[in-house]
Parts: sequence; structure tokens; C-alpha cells
Amino acid sequence: MDMDNEDFKVPIKEKKKAYEVDFTSLSQTAIEKMMDSELEHIAGIFGVDRDTAALLLRHLQWNKERLIEKYMDNASSVSIDAGISSPSTSTSSPTIPSAPGPSRRTTSRSSTKVLGPSPSTSKQRRTPPPAKKYTPSATSFTCHICFDDSPSLKTRALGCEHTFCLGCWVDYLGSRIRDEQELVIPCMAESCALRAPDSFVRAILVPDAGSPEAKSMTPEEKAAGQKLWERFGELGVRDFVGANKALKYCPYPACTNTVSCPSASTKASLTRIVPIVTCGARGIPQTSQSPSSSSSSPALNPYAAGGGSSDNTTLDTAASKEHVYCFGCPVESDHRPVVCGVARMWLKKCADDSETANWIKSNTKECPICQSTIEKNGGCNHMTCKKCKHEFCWVCMGPWTEHGTQWYSCNRYEEKAGIDARDQQSQSRASLERYLHYYNRWANHEQSSKLSLDLYAKTEKKMESLQSSSALTWIEVQFMRKAVDQAVRCRRTLQWTYAMGYFLENDNMKELFEANQRDLERSVEELSELLEGPVPVDKEGIGVLRQKVTDKTVYVQMRNEVMLEDTANGLVEGRWKWNAPVEGFSYEEDGDVDVLP
Amino acid sequence: MDARLRRVNKEIADCKNDTTSNIKIELVGDTPFHLKGSFPGPEGTPYEGGHFEVDIVIPEQYPFSPVKMKFMTKVYHPNVSSASGAICLDILKDAWSPVLTLKSTLISLQSLLCSPEPNDPQDAEVAKHYTTSKASFEETAAYWTQIYAGGPGKKTSSANSAPVRDEIAMAGLERAHVDQFEALGFERTKVIEVLRRLNYRGANVASISEDKVVEELLR
Ligand SMILES: [Zn+2]
Ligand SMILES: [Zn+2]
Ligand SMILES: [Zn+2]
Ligand SMILES: [Zn+2]
Ligand SMILES: [Zn+2]
Ligand SMILES: [Zn+2]
Repeated sequence: MDMDNEDFKVPIKEKKKAYEVDFTSLSQTAIEKMMDSELEHIAGIFGVDRDTAALLLRHLQWNKERLIEKYMDNASSVSIDAGISSPSTSTSSPTIPSAPGPSRRTTSRSSTKVLGPSPSTSKQRRTPPPAKKYTPSATSFTCHICFDDSPSLKTRALGCEHTFCLGCWVDYLGSRIRDEQELVIPCMAESCALRAPDSFVRAILVPDAGSPEAKSMTPEEKAAGQKLWERFGELGVRDFVGANKALKYCPYPACTNTVSCPSASTKASLTRIVPIVTCGARGIPQTSQSPSSSSSSPALNPYAAGGGSSDNTTLDTAASKEHVYCFGCPVESDHRPVVCGVARMWLKKCADDSETANWIKSNTKECPICQSTIEKNGGCNHMTCKKCKHEFCWVCMGPWTEHGTQWYSCNRYEEKAGIDARDQQSQSRASLERYLHYYNRWANHEQSSKLSLDLYAKTEKKMESLQSSSALTWIEVQFMRKAVDQAVRCRRTLQWTYAMGYFLENDNMKELFEANQRDLERSVEELSELLEGPVPVDKEGIGVLRQKVTDKTVYVQMRNEVMLEDTANGLVEGRWKWNAPVEGFSYEEDGDVDVLP
Repeated sequence: MDARLRRVNKEIADCKNDTTSNIKIELVGDTPFHLKGSFPGPEGTPYEGGHFEVDIVIPEQYPFSPVKMKFMTKVYHPNVSSASGAICLDILKDAWSPVLTLKSTLISLQSLLCSPEPNDPQDAEVAKHYTTSKASFEETAAYWTQIYAGGPGKKTSSANSAPVRDEIAMAGLERAHVDQFEALGFERTKVIEVLRRLNYRGANVASISEDKVVEELLR
């Protein structure tokens, strides 16, 4: 397909970073234009109308080359398969309902007549069907679906002349399009494989204004028809997008945008890049809300779809966020820096081992010194026992003092020495322990993100009251929001670095990777700690906190850039070696991993 | 009136007025959307003489989505689940057309009894039985017709008492085979279940070792 047509490109941003991919966002209208030019092309080559071209292209999944080849080889056979024409001699003639016979669908393929939507420019002549099965006679017609026989009954039929009343066609189209999400609309007669062309569907659902059909429709019927016709258009776009590897439909509910990302259209490309894209839209269409800068009470409601009165400004993670998704896989979130294949393996591993790992998700742990129960209530891992004042790390349960300077081995799984390799039991225990090390940290960052957002909701109230009591502007209290935003973003990166770390071969490259991970993790924890500390009550105190938080936010952002840049460069350079087979990567006999060409 | 209701009512009335076919449709409750269909088993088949009842549910989208049907009478047939009565028939799924009616669909069920399609089975065990030994299959199907569908049977037992269910005949197995393994100390029901699962019939008997059967019995 011709994707290079400049007319359709709406550049979102220039590529500037190693961890970003080039992509363009396309509206439904833009995709429809692309489809149109494909239709024009085929209609021109074959000398058929656009309806016929559409049925042909959809039948062959928009593969123009294959269609041309097959059509040149045997046009009538392709036309039958695509539901454009009927076989001329059919042993399974559609049964008349008043004399039904026991029936199983049989298909017979023989010579054909073109009965379908008449190709206006074609040399082919439309021949009358062998028998008029349901054709209304001037005297009486009974619709064989609803049994209505009133003389004023309006009827419709495809080229096969299997005639039914208009009301039944409307109901049938509704059932196909709305309930079954089907673009293909076969004739209602039994064993008739003819398919309704777009113009036929359109004339029923949205008849031309001024036509007798349009005049006899109630406003409700018109609205329902319009809605179905729009849905039909969407299904057409989805069909086209689904057939093209360089396109992907936005997975967010009710969004009709598409992203074009040719650089991520092959399996091999997914070993070198992590194609995180955005369709350009935000939020959920029905409840879309525009951030209002004039609001003095920005509330936080990260997972609600809106509706609240003060719910008009939200964080990056909130309902009004951009539609971010992965072009290369079904994961609906930003899984950088890890490649799709590894992300998939990690999620599968987590799903398989979910029960073993469940206890880690629990929000309570025991103090390593006095064993009293401690509940985690913020994103920070620096825990202080209320009873004995012991300070420790939530993740590794080690004393916090050692983390302060070195973050010692909190991000790194030390392969325990002295494991008897032949001892099956200790080996499987070791492998479980290893998994839990990574899973623990993965789950912790996810949990910390949520808790940070919860905590921010509380902090924000404090900031609001502060704003009124200490003459700070709304802008001046925004640093907290930005910091939480950044912390959440970095924790998402950290989360996926643990997925990556789990599958990385132990080598020098992994050590460098872990050094970056450690730096990012430490700075995020420091930022979280600042955010969770007491909020000063005076203007001076706020000023000091603001400076500290702002500086830390900038630093954290820088560490995140380093982490993402380095891992992305490593992918392109083939620097990362996996300890398990990953889809798309090939393995040589000596165990080296190479990227397929 | 609602189009679906009008159509179903007309279908029911048409079926009543039609004296030539032997298909019956009756109401189950107050609405015509839950019905009971019935027809006699086709002549010249193991189902001959039986009376077969079908549960019919008219879906909201009828006639644009297919009617839901399942056998209420137990049937021994490759395309009907021997446990649930679920039916594997194309017109009840993808090949449904809104011009098909309840009557024409019931006629299709009747004709399905004449011509099983073991390659597209609903009940794999029954289908295996059918392909291994058609004669033995037909004997079992006729026995089921006698037990469940009020069929004539062989009239060997004394006339007035209801037929006693013979579990071995129900499973389509040979009495000698069941006796053979029962003699080893296994329970009869267990033996029947295993032999049925292994399709211990006809030519298969030679290819399934006694050890294999015992192994399965011990599981
Ligand atoms: Zn037709
Ligand atoms: Zn009608
Ligand atoms: Zn979107
Ligand atoms: Zn992905
Ligand atoms: Zn303690
Ligand atoms: Zn730690």
C-alpha cells in the first residue's frame, strides 16, 4: 500500500531521542482518503465501480498485488468468492420458506453471471437471474421474514433479486453491524453468498434527503440509521488498518484514530526499537475534559473517567492522558525500555507465577527488629517503625543506613555462590528466589506509583489551604504536581527495567545497565521522600521545599533520560544478551544472540 | 405489534394448520419465545418409532440471529451431545438465514438424524463409536430410542413393565467384554466408563491390550 502520500501525514513531533520512534497519527478521515485512493486504483484497472472494488479488496485483505493476479487469472471466480456475483447454475437454489426442506449449506462453484452491483463502466452485462424467487408481483408480496404483506410495503433486493421488506433490511443491518461488528453483509436468503455493497447499505441506513424513504423516517430512525452508518464506516477503517502492518488502530475505547509507524512493521524491527506511540487524542471521547488553567482547585482523580465537578485538571496518569500504547504488541502501556518480546515473556511469567508472588503485593510487612506490623502508606521505601524507630528498606528489608550512601545491593540480584548445581531442589528454590527478587521490585514500583498519587491527593489539599493562607499563586504550588508526575513516569521506567533485568545475561553490559538503574532508583526514592515529608506551614518553608523538590525533579528526569537513551542505544547496537530465547532474536550455536537481518 | 412477535405467532399458527408435516410446536409458558418442538424419528433409522422433543428459545434478535435449539430427549447421535442435548448443525450457527423458520429448522434436525456427520461431531465418543462399527452404533442408538424416546425396541421382555435399563447396551458395549474385566475385580460402572472411553468395540478390541485397559481402570 502506498503509505508515502504526504497529504495524509500529520507529523506529531520530530524524532529527537534514541528511545523514540517516528510515527504519524491519522484520523479516520485520513484513513478513508487512503482507502479511497486504493479503491480508485483498483476500480480504474478493472473497469468496475467502487462498490465492486471495495468488495474485492476486502475479500483479499487489501492485498492489491494478489487481487490483480487472481482477477487477471479468473475474474468470475474471484467475483463469486467476494460475494459480487452468484454462480449461474446452482444446485442449492435458495429455498422458499413456505416449502422449506432440510438443508445444510452447500456451495457449488460453476460458471457465473454477474448479478451483483452492476459495474457501470464494465463491459460485462448484467443478466437476469435464473428465477425470481422472492420478487414481488404486482398483486401481492409477502416478506418472508416478517410475513408482512401490506400493499404499501417497500422492498429491497441485491443483484440476486431475493427481495425482502425495507424494515427487515434495516433490522438485519443493525444486527450485523451493531451486534456482530461485521462489515460483511450477506444476502438474507439462505445459501445466497452475495454481499451487500456499501452503496446499498448507505441507501437503506441514510437515504438521500428528499427521497420518499427519508421522508417516511422518524427523527429517531434517522438518528439510528446515521449511527449505524458511522459504525459501518469505522468497521471499514478497522478492516483496512488491520490488513496493513504499518498501521495500528488506537486501542483506547471509542477512539477512531490510527497510527502509522512503518519502522515498526516487521518482527525484526521489534528487536531494535520499542515503538511506543500516541494517537494524538486524549481521554475518553464521551467524557473528554479540557484542562483549565484558570481553575484554582485542580483535583486529582487518576482512574476515574471524569464527571466530578472539580475534575478538570489531572496528572499524566489521569483519565485525560494521551492515548499512549505500544505499536508492536498488545501491551497498552509504555513498556520502555524493554522490547516487546521480553515484555510479553515477563508478563506471562508474572501471570504464571502470580500465586507464588501474591504475598509480596500485600501492603503490610513486619519490622525486622521488633516484628510489629508496619503498613506502607506512601511511595517511599524508607520505612521507620513506629514502635522501635528502626529505619529499614521496604524492598529488601535491610537497614536504611546502608542505602543512604550506596543503595547497596537493593536493585541487584546477587547470584548466591555455592549452590550445588546438581541439587534440583535448591536450584528450583534459587530460581524462584531470583524471580521474586525482580518481581518484588517490579510490583513495588507499581504500588509506589499508586500510593504516590494517593498521597498527592492529600498533599494537594494542604497546598490549597496554604495557597489561600500564605498568598502563594496557583502556579507557585504546582511544583508538587510536576514532581509526582515525574516520579510516576520514572517508576514506570524502573518497573520495566526489572522485567528487562530478569532476562538479561550476566555480563559487563548488565552491570552497566544496573548502575543506571540504581542511580535512577535512588534519585526517585529521594524525590519520593521529599514529597512525603511534612509540608511547611509558612511561605519561607514552602520556598525552601520548592527549591529542593524542583532541583530533585530535574535530576530525576535527567537520570530517566540516561536510562532510556542507553537501553535504546544498546538495542540498536545489539549490546543486550538475553538469558532465554526471545522472539525475533536468533541464536548461534555458541550461545551468542544476534538480531535477525 | 412487535415484528418478532408477529413472525413467531405466524410460524406457530402455520405449523398448526399444516396437516401434512408431522412437526409440532407448543408453547412452554406464557410467551411464544420459549417453545417445545417435537417430531417422530425418521423411518428406516435407529430413531424410528421414537418421539423427539426439542427445547426452543427465540433470541431477542430473531430472526436475524439463529434460534436456539437443543434436544430434550436423549439421543445417541454423533452430532448431538449425549449429555446435554446440544446440537452441532451449521444452520444453527454461521449458515443461519433469516428466511429459515422454526419448522424448517426442526425438519433439518429430523434429517440430521438420517444422516450423521461424524467428521463434525458434537459428541466425540459417539462419533468414534459410529466410525468404528456402524452396526454396533445403530444398535445402541435404537436402544436409546427405546429407553428415552418411547421407541418399540426388540419386544423380547414381557410386555407390561417398563424396560429395565441395561447399562452395557446403553454404552454400546459387548456383555462379554464387560464381564471379562468385572471378573478381575473392578466395578461394573467403572468398567463401562473406561471401555466406552477407549472405544472398546469392533476391530479396536484387537488393538487395545488387556494391560492398557487395566491401567486405565487403575487410574
Ligand atoms: Zn440473495
Ligand atoms: Zn419484512
Ligand atoms: Zn486514541
Ligand atoms: Zn510492545
Ligand atoms: Zn520495629
Ligand atoms: Zn533495599
